[in-house]
Amino acid sequence: MSKNFFEKAVDWGRRKSPWIIHFNAGACNGCDIEVVDALTPRFDVERLGLLQQGTPRHADVLVCTGAVTLQTRDRLKQIYEQMPEPKFVLAVGSCACTGGIFDGCYCVSGGIDSVIPVDAYIPGCAARPEAIIDAVVKLLTALEQSQKAAD
Amino acid sequence: MLMALFNIVIFPGLLFLGIYALFFAFLDRKLYARLQNRVGPPWFQPLADFCKLLGKETIIPQGADRRVFVSLPVFALAAVTTAFIYVPIWSVNSLFPFEGDLIVVLYLLTIPTLCFFLGGWYSTSLYATIGAVRALTQLFSYEVPLFMAMLAPAILAETWSISGISAYYAEHPLYILINIPAFLVAMVACQGKLERVPFDLPEAETEIVSGTFVEYSGRLFAIFKMAIDCELVVVSALIAAIFLPFHAANPWLGFLYFIIKTVIILILLCLFRASMARVRIEQMLMFCWKILTPLAIIQIIINLLVRGALA
Repeated sequence: MSKNFFEKAVDWGRRKSPWIIHFNAGACNGCDIEVVDALTPRFDVERLGLLQQGTPRHADVLVCTGAVTLQTRDRLKQIYEQMPEPKFVLAVGSCACTGGIFDGCYCVSGGIDSVIPVDAYIPGCAARPEAIIDAVVKLLTALEQSQKAAD
Repeated sequence: MLMALFNIVIFPGLLFLGIYALFFAFLDRKLYARLQNRVGPPWFQPLADFCKLLGKETIIPQGADRRVFVSLPVFALAAVTTAFIYVPIWSVNSLFPFEGDLIVVLYLLTIPTLCFFLGGWYSTSLYATIGAVRALTQLFSYEVPLFMAMLAPAILAETWSISGISAYYAEHPLYILINIPAFLVAMVACQGKLERVPFDLPEAETEIVSGTFVEYSGRLFAIFKMAIDCELVVVSALIAAIFLPFHAANPWLGFLYFIIKTVIILILLCLFRASMARVRIEQMLMFCWKILTPLAIIQIIINLLVRGALA
């Protein structure tokens, strides 16, 4: 069944306006600084429609850094559940992808995908701002392809 | 009947106001970005945001009163749209001018702020409650100088209707120079009304997440955002009508003048926003009551004296 005009407009809006919220699940702060760096005027992610939001209720993309510690495990789950559908998760940095050097530690449950589903992985220690922006663009391209496939 | 429906839904009602508000939101964000040496968002950005929010899931908190929570954004948007009908657009006259419409418009523009307060209050979230209380505290500080600054030109023109004021200053263009302090006071105070940067305390993303709107998501948040964007248009149109009364007899030319005037006001507001940082709530109260209000009172006294001298 082909999509009608309004569904297409919403699909287009989703591709053009990804609002992010940043969550530190137990990172060493290296990746967090790179995420903040990606939001500075130098990289100007607003040209892609990206805006940082304060509350998970307004966000579409959850940008997670760090291996998930047992302390943040439940909080991460809560924040993910507070976000309205449709939502996406970016794992920024090696620790967020797999657990990194903290994998198997007594207080760490592993990468972000050990708790919530992840849509894009950005490896790197720390991940560069260019890599983060590239991942967002790739996520949006993949979203466009899946929307076209559903049409 | 058909004409009234056209006025409400298409021009100058919801549709025109909505499109113009999206354009204003874009211009505001683009200018802000350029002032920060950035490229800024593309022209369709506010529309894309609006479409996306309409398609998102709407979550209503468990503790919130469902009916009030859902109806508040609509109330805010309706009040702003109603206020726009009484603001002159293409000529000196608005659509339905009457004696006292200045007061009606000012009070209609207070309703969105009260909706933000109630929305935050009914969200039963801690951050939203703090934001709501701040919105109300702020209301009591900027509202007084804003009202006095808007009423000072009315005293000189001896009329309480926006159209009457516009017509008076169109006849005596030099008198607008007397109102320059009131113009400045109105520009500063309306930043508080629009919850823009030096006075965006109720939203304050970095400290109280996003204040009154914390629990609003999806469609309801889209309507709230639309109400805020529309309020920006209505307030700049109101300031343009009162303080910049340059009109043309031809309605098309008058409409062009309207766009030029409101864009100039938006540029000034944006410059103001880009050059300031957020103040604390008590700093804002001090500033509004100790500087803006006396300035507005002095303006009223000057206008009364000028009125007496002219009589």
